[in-house]
Amino acid sequence: MKRALAFFGAPVVLLARTTRATAREGLGWRECLVQLHELGGRSVWLVLSGMAFFGAVLVTIANSQARRFVGNVAVLGPAYFELLIRELGPVVSAVLTASRAGAGHAAELSTMGVNEQLEALEMSAGDPLADLVAPRVVAGLVGVPLLCVLGTVAATLSAATVAQLGFGVDGRAFMDPRYVDVWDLLAAAIKAVACGVYIPLAAAVAGLRARGGAEAVGEATTDGVVAASLGCLLIDFAVSLAFQLLRL
Amino acid sequence: MDLRATSLTVRYGTRTVLARVDCALPPGTQALVLGRSGAGKTTLLKALAGLVPVQGGQVLWNGEDVSRLSATERRERQAAFGMVFQTDALFDSLSVRQNVLLPLRRRHVPDAEAEARADEVLRAVGLLDAADTLPERLSGGMKKRAGLARALAARPSVLLADDPFAGLDPGTARQVARVLSEVSRGSTLLVAAPEAPVDLPLSRWLFLRDGRLVHDGPPAPELERAKDGARP
Amino acid sequence: MSVDSRLPHALVEGPVRGVGAFTLELARSLGAIALVAARTVLGLPRLERRELVRALVQFGYDSVPLAMATAALAGVIVVLQSGLYIQRFGARAFLGWAAGYGVLWEFGPLLLGLIMSARIGARNAAELALLQVGGQIEGLRGIGLDPFAILVAPRVVAMELSMLALSTFTFLVAIVFEAVAAYFMLDLPLRVFFGTFAQMLGALDLVGGVVKVGTFGLAISLVSTAVGLSARGGARAVGQAAASAVVRGCAAIFVLDLLLTLALAGWMS
Repeated sequence: MKRALAFFGAPVVLLARTTRATAREGLGWRECLVQLHELGGRSVWLVLSGMAFFGAVLVTIANSQARRFVGNVAVLGPAYFELLIRELGPVVSAVLTASRAGAGHAAELSTMGVNEQLEALEMSAGDPLADLVAPRVVAGLVGVPLLCVLGTVAATLSAATVAQLGFGVDGRAFMDPRYVDVWDLLAAAIKAVACGVYIPLAAAVAGLRARGGAEAVGEATTDGVVAASLGCLLIDFAVSLAFQLLRL
Repeated sequence: MDLRATSLTVRYGTRTVLARVDCALPPGTQALVLGRSGAGKTTLLKALAGLVPVQGGQVLWNGEDVSRLSATERRERQAAFGMVFQTDALFDSLSVRQNVLLPLRRRHVPDAEAEARADEVLRAVGLLDAADTLPERLSGGMKKRAGLARALAARPSVLLADDPFAGLDPGTARQVARVLSEVSRGSTLLVAAPEAPVDLPLSRWLFLRDGRLVHDGPPAPELERAKDGARP
Repeated sequence: MSVDSRLPHALVEGPVRGVGAFTLELARSLGAIALVAARTVLGLPRLERRELVRALVQFGYDSVPLAMATAALAGVIVVLQSGLYIQRFGARAFLGWAAGYGVLWEFGPLLLGLIMSARIGARNAAELALLQVGGQIEGLRGIGLDPFAILVAPRVVAMELSMLALSTFTFLVAIVFEAVAAYFMLDLPLRVFFGTFAQMLGALDLVGGVVKVGTFGLAISLVSTAVGLSARGGARAVGQAAASAVVRGCAAIFVLDLLLTLALAGWMS
């Protein structure tokens, strides 16, 4: 119970402190752009290739399901497309980003902590929250939704291609937006944005806590990436559940 | 700045690192903070600079309780401090000169003056030729001196040096000691070290043992010898 | 002013050189992984028992809460998702089958693999990097001991065993959570859920999931070991090793997932 509270509480507290520190110190827009570039540059290939493979797997599974009780896999296409847009696209892209960016941020911040660079920054009239955490949160807020869109597109294209070439059905069924409505897009957007804010915060909680030597860096990195990935699953679960309960 | 610690207690988790330390450091104090590793020297310096949260007692800057200051006020007062860290703590993506300029830029010192001051301190530590290299290309002694230059650039009235001689060869150590004593003339200087450095004989010793201040006064070499044997 | 960031090299350099560097890096990683695998197999007969037990506790037992949480989430998420198109097609009766199939074949193994890549892959890489950076691995060699038999082989074996044990356990938890979620959210009686589940899923479907998780476990352990052992430098290197173990582990999992799905789907039909 205490651990569950800490899991959700610590990022929220850090967000509040970061917001306050940023309101006081101001936000370095250049640093935000640098972090966005960093996030994109590091994660985009992982997300694109991972999601392309994932799209191919989805079609293969749809195909073996369809053979049991529908007959033609193309019938399932629109439903799978909705599933991809609303659920799987955002969450799998976010988990992939979490493993890249979450581990990267936690490793960077904990290395800075262990090397006393955080304190040196304070002595240089800087603020670790406003100068280091805030730009990463802004980058996540903007970057993760973009990565989710790219990942979903990659999965869709790969699914359509595999359906067309591998199973000989019309691949366009896997990009048929018949069932997709504005609520699906809203659910996807909420998930992507929430994960985008949560990933850097969870990583920063673990990274800023590290004190000691190289051992602390290893621990902080592991904790950061686990918290970031598990948090993305929890966010997906919470948003899906809320939409289900509201019957949207 | 007049520094004072009253019954200062710092804990990391359940471990007490500093236990009820009292000391007064009026402006111009020059003292060594001695004690074996783990005695709390680093924590004492960081607590005096307002870098670690204090669990008991107070740190007073010119009579103001540091824990009562707002973040902005604390940031302003901290400009009076210069700190040389145990690890060199240089930002590795910035060149040596940029590292030195960072605190000045952050405090809105005009560019021309900042550049002039950076050159001045880099010359003082003998790093003017290496000013545009990245820290990872420097040797251990050069990194230490770069950290010293960064601490000096803001012209602090209190200079805190955490084990500045660790891992330095005798020649470089002598050079660092010379810079420290030259630039800190008239201002407060606290140097933490595991044993009294021969090159920097300061007249006041603060001796820490297991987080307690066991001696505050003139040099007392017998404390160092007692180190290995009897514990009180 | 940027304090700690470096520009990613892949974007600064031209894409052609990027591809070349990537291919070279891939070849190098595969070589390192093959080396770890071979040395582990050679080290098997002289496996250090105490280290094996320690690693089993650390990688297996200590991961149980996280694996359970992942399983519960995977179960409920799959039901929420199946619910979407169960409602579209009115095929409520098939939910047990669809949800069970989803968890056993895809989401159970995939999510467990991704989370464990973070939990045990990163930890293993960090620990080995720490030993490597601290010179302890060289030290073992220096006193005539084989670091692979003492440190590496027990870890690889323990990670693989842990993943296999966790997988069956995870599937069980996930399916229970699916049934409960279906009952509360879609008003599907437990009897109906488990009815179609037992009727349409065979032991072979379970094998599919376990094979996937086992393969992912092997990938995670070999990749993270290779990454950890190649660390050089200080605290920074340890962090980078942990981070890159997760990324490479995830990449390997997605590639293997596709290959295994194709192979198993072909073999089952």
